[in-house]
Amino acid sequence: MKLTPKITLLAAGVLAVSSLSACAGGNASTGTSGSAQPKLAFIQGVAGDEFYVSMQCGIDAAAKSAGATINTQGPAKFDPTLQKPIVDSVVASKPDAILIAPTDVAAMQAPLKAAAAAGIKVVLVDTTVQDPSFAASSIASDNKGGGLEAFKAIKNLNPNGGKVLVISTDPGVSTADARVAGFEEGAKADPAFQYLGVQYSHNDPAEAAKLVSAALAKDPDIVGVFAANTFAAEGTATGIRQAGKQDQVKIVGFDAGPAQVQQLKDGVVQALIAQEPASIGTQGVEQALKAIKGESTQKDIQTGFKQITADNISGEGAQYVYKSSC
Amino acid sequence: MTTTEVTPRSAGTASALTRTHSLRQVLQVQSFQILLVLLVIFLIFAAMAPEVFPTWGNVRQIIQNVSILGVLGIGMTFVIVTSGIDLSVGSNLVFSGVVAAKVMQSMGDTGWGTAFVGIIVSVSCGLGWGLLNGVLIAKAKVPPLIVTLGTLGGALGLAQVITGGVDIREVPAVLQDTIGYGNVPGTTLPTISLIAMVLIVIFGIVLHRTRFGLYTFAIGSNEESARRVGVKVDRQLISIYALSGALAGVAGILSLAQYGTTAIAGQSATNLNVIAAVVIGGTSLFGGVGTIFGTVVGLFIPAVLQNGFVIVGVQPFWQQVAVGAVLVAAVYVDQRRRAAAARGHSAKDDGRTRLFGRRSN
Repeated sequence: MKLTPKITLLAAGVLAVSSLSACAGGNASTGTSGSAQPKLAFIQGVAGDEFYVSMQCGIDAAAKSAGATINTQGPAKFDPTLQKPIVDSVVASKPDAILIAPTDVAAMQAPLKAAAAAGIKVVLVDTTVQDPSFAASSIASDNKGGGLEAFKAIKNLNPNGGKVLVISTDPGVSTADARVAGFEEGAKADPAFQYLGVQYSHNDPAEAAKLVSAALAKDPDIVGVFAANTFAAEGTATGIRQAGKQDQVKIVGFDAGPAQVQQLKDGVVQALIAQEPASIGTQGVEQALKAIKGESTQKDIQTGFKQITADNISGEGAQYVYKSSC
Repeated sequence: MTTTEVTPRSAGTASALTRTHSLRQVLQVQSFQILLVLLVIFLIFAAMAPEVFPTWGNVRQIIQNVSILGVLGIGMTFVIVTSGIDLSVGSNLVFSGVVAAKVMQSMGDTGWGTAFVGIIVSVSCGLGWGLLNGVLIAKAKVPPLIVTLGTLGGALGLAQVITGGVDIREVPAVLQDTIGYGNVPGTTLPTISLIAMVLIVIFGIVLHRTRFGLYTFAIGSNEESARRVGVKVDRQLISIYALSGALAGVAGILSLAQYGTTAIAGQSATNLNVIAAVVIGGTSLFGGVGTIFGTVVGLFIPAVLQNGFVIVGVQPFWQQVAVGAVLVAAVYVDQRRRAAAARGHSAKDDGRTRLFGRRSN
């Protein structure tokens, strides 16, 4: 059968929407099975990222046990211009509380403040905004503590001390800066270690490799490097291998997504500092439910870290690895 | 037969010939057909979430979120009507916003004076990139796809050079309060949307009712013929790309006002989203056919789909699937029209005879 243009267009539109409404029907039936249930929404920083997926797992589990419904949404990229329309739409759907990882401290301030003013309880998870006073609670990793934990990991690997270096991503990234500060504090407090400072790899493994090669040429006796993210860790490992010092220099990486865990298993890095996204999610739901009931909430919560090494990756460390699905 | 075929397809040129549009002719225009699709989508979501979706509060925020893309869509419609393309709008927006933010930051003051300078700077920056695009395309004869792909990278790269990749978040409060989140006094219509609407109406008139618009369609229909009948094609093309650039500059300052940050890492898919909207709205990628109104409708389809999906709780990934389907359908319709026109009769008449034929059975 040949189609007229008008019919084709209409059919395409109707098909697109009806196929989706079919999916929506499935979701909605689980979503509206009881009217007295608290209605929660979770807006991720970016959809499909292991860190946020792990957080979502924590949130889903906590919401389920509390009998609350949860609608999870996220932009395709970590981008405030993509996240804002989603925030606005979620606010329009009038949930009782929103858990959100804001993608920008400035851009998300006004929409979230407006949501709070409309009576929706807002809980900030992982990231924050310029003035979070409207939020019921802010839950994030203690990044400074994470940096300190990274230093402890290097210390465990090199009990005798020596020279240590940090390869970070870019200056001005608040979480990375806090991690570096924590590491620096730990290294300077320990007389056995000499802190060589921080270098910025701009998320480029080749750049990190060059920096590490140069640092090893200047200080051939470096014993440990804290690589603040995956790319920094890859480049650092390359630089160390080029210098033939892989037995001497230990690398500690940050975060525990599948890529990082693979690096640990391959021996590229000797330890990982894992955040606890699931715990952030669980506590976020607890605070949101308290706020809905009108109970007092804890304004600031900092969650901890876990060292993952080759020794505990198959044991107790395994539960701290980020998940790609619940 | 020939007249009914020509009339609806090139609204700009046709309007000069026939001022009277019958309902049938109006329905034949693709932008009205796509409006029907939008209405169907709206009604389906309204039925699924009757208490949330079809409320002014919700529609208002959809309109607000579409406004910046609407400003970009105007320029893109002009460009695509000439059978060109402008991939650089998103980067141009970021660059203009960055330079404006930098200038406003250095002025220190947060009043209207600073904001006004910021607006001028942003539009000038956009205009500059647009002129560069236009000159390279019209005079150096480099294909638009390549020129704007080059300026896409160039503008974004320079924006990162200027800021070191770190967003500037010092935007005058007056910009954010009045333009970004303010309403038109006495109403609940966002100011940013009113600005977009005014620009849309002005440039809608320019495209469909002026000589400038007529020449734009002429170049898109057949550049060589336009040249031979005396249209200054090079100058026209430079003006059109400059217009697209300047509107990206306007969008840059609107984005600053709305988000309060330069969002350098953002806007990476903006160019494709705007192009998709223009094409869904019935503007032909082959040039010579198109309306600003269609582009506006084309922008609302993804926005309404996303909003509806979030409200009914569907994974956002599905939105991209749905928009992709509508996009391909829109281009398919355009192609069929062209094939029908090449055979010497309109697709609409073709369809009607078949419909009647089926009915008589």
